[in-house]
Amino acid sequence: MAILSEKNITKGLSILQNYTDNKLLTHLNSCVHCGLCAESCMYYLTYKEARFVPAQKVDFIMSVYKRYFTFLGKHVPFLSKARDLNDESSSEMVDLFFGACTLCGRCTMHCSIGVDIAFLVRTGRVMLAEMGMIPASIQSTVDASIQTGNNMGITKEEFVDTIQWLEDDLKDELEDPEARIPLNEKGKKILYTLNPREPKFFPLSISAMAKIFHFAKESWTLSTEMYDVTNYGFFTGNIGEATTITKRLHEEVKNLEAKELILAECGHGSRAFRWEGPNYLNQSFEYTARTSVELIADYLKEGRIRVDKNRLKQRVTLHDPCNLVRNGGIINEQRYILHQIANDFVEMTPYGVDNFCCGGGGGQLAMSEYNERRMGIGGRKADQIKDTKANIVVTPCHNCVDQLIQINAHYKLNVQIKTLAEVVADALI
Amino acid sequence: MSYSLSVLPEAPAGLPVYPNLTVVYNMSWYIFLTLLSLTLCLGSCLFHIGKLVSMGKPADHSDPIGNEKEGILYSFTGGMSPSKKESAFLHLPTYIAGLLYHIGTFLSFGLLLLILAGISLPAIVKLILGGFLILTASCGLGIFVKRFIKPHLRQLSNPDDYISNLLVTAFQVVTAIQLHIPIIAYFMISSALLLYLPLGKLKHMVYFFAARYQLGFFYGRRGVWPPKN
Repeated sequence: MAILSEKNITKGLSILQNYTDNKLLTHLNSCVHCGLCAESCMYYLTYKEARFVPAQKVDFIMSVYKRYFTFLGKHVPFLSKARDLNDESSSEMVDLFFGACTLCGRCTMHCSIGVDIAFLVRTGRVMLAEMGMIPASIQSTVDASIQTGNNMGITKEEFVDTIQWLEDDLKDELEDPEARIPLNEKGKKILYTLNPREPKFFPLSISAMAKIFHFAKESWTLSTEMYDVTNYGFFTGNIGEATTITKRLHEEVKNLEAKELILAECGHGSRAFRWEGPNYLNQSFEYTARTSVELIADYLKEGRIRVDKNRLKQRVTLHDPCNLVRNGGIINEQRYILHQIANDFVEMTPYGVDNFCCGGGGGQLAMSEYNERRMGIGGRKADQIKDTKANIVVTPCHNCVDQLIQINAHYKLNVQIKTLAEVVADALI
Repeated sequence: MSYSLSVLPEAPAGLPVYPNLTVVYNMSWYIFLTLLSLTLCLGSCLFHIGKLVSMGKPADHSDPIGNEKEGILYSFTGGMSPSKKESAFLHLPTYIAGLLYHIGTFLSFGLLLLILAGISLPAIVKLILGGFLILTASCGLGIFVKRFIKPHLRQLSNPDDYISNLLVTAFQVVTAIQLHIPIIAYFMISSALLLYLPLGKLKHMVYFFAARYQLGFFYGRRGVWPPKN
């Protein structure tokens, strides 16, 4: 029995038809099926299934495009294996686009032609979103954001209690009654954001950043109304919901009259706001939006904070979040910081823009139905970490932290996983 | 041995001679077919290019941290070097074969224009180019065989992939032959290729440049290209 209605199929196809610029048209027509992208994808490297070759994944969207919008596909579909958009092909698209791609973009960077494979997969997700086929698990994360203002559904009271408790702890730790975690203060220089996993599971990373702000004598505030840096609408492909979430944060910056928005250690969140946000809202921002990684690097360069390099005795390695590094250009800042605080910092192989995704990207952590597959691809990251012989893995992304914690347990790595703010806070003098 | 249009049939006897139309009288149906195919091919490619240009690149309201022009330049230069692309350095034999194959293709198109224009080349040059085209065609054949025998490539492939590969390989082979022995098959295969080019995957001849541009723009704007590490 057909599940997809004609109306939904039409909605899905409209994404391939109603483009407003030449980017989609370019990439839909560029792949030559050379298959050389296979070895750039963790899914293919791990499972050796032909369907996981990036070119094979995007062939689903390209073959649908050919079927409905090209001469050969319309009249001689077998020549290019042009596919109808139906229950069967759309179900396979859900499995491949949501369940077998972290949108890390590694294949894009290494494509022999230059096809933006991650962009095509994301376009496929947009199609599926239009057709009402977003997996319920990841959609529930977006629903929580839309309904409660943060993706963990934390109530305002719970959040305020947590922050007040952390502020008391900070005063005790610093033995300074003036140490603060300000809430909703207007006219401060910085509005700082959080990944809701911080108040829920990792409150010490909030303390760490508050400590850095305190040492830098920064003018800053948190908001109780909109502090969530994440935007799972970017992952689901529902542009309307991604725009709503972006707009809320944008409005809160203006409401609190902050000069600068600092995006917490969250790869996709910082990308969704910093790079995609202005395009969701169709406007440039009148304030600066940048990541806490850039901010901390500047504090160190400007001498606003000082650190003791000898305090961190263990070997440290760095995991590069894909959205921050390969898709966001934050490449040297985290390295500069680690070189300031660690005597024994080693890179993974490969690293930087060539680094492998941890496996938690693309919303994978929110889709429990793909847990087994996610832990499977995490094996490559586990091997990279083992090879460094590091004791501490630092990563400036809370989703990566979560995935690395699970990899650590699953592959028995016996390492510590920390955010950048945490290791910097420990080294402050 | 030189080659020119003089190897083609003469104009029919008894027809009035107008100097400007001599070449038309001398033109055989297969030359005409090739010219027609070339015109259609160029027209179609121009249509694709026109569509891309008229639609324009995406509007981007984000604040750049890098330089788009430098990113685009890198995309067409260093970004394509074997040392920077896994698709190249993990597959060097395929990369080299692909490179030679594409050089052979562009060379064949260049020779097609010379042949249609009746421009002859020195014998030694024809000998070298013919030999080189046999080599590049062998590369094309190798890529064809690889596509057929590798399971993940076979699953990825469709008839268009095989047809395109065979047409281009055949084009190079007949070009090599045509340099020495004029054959009608050369014009037939050239025409088939020119007519098919804008329809199937071969139109990446146009979109390749657009894709590299887009990628360079994207990574350049975000400060990823040219590389920092």
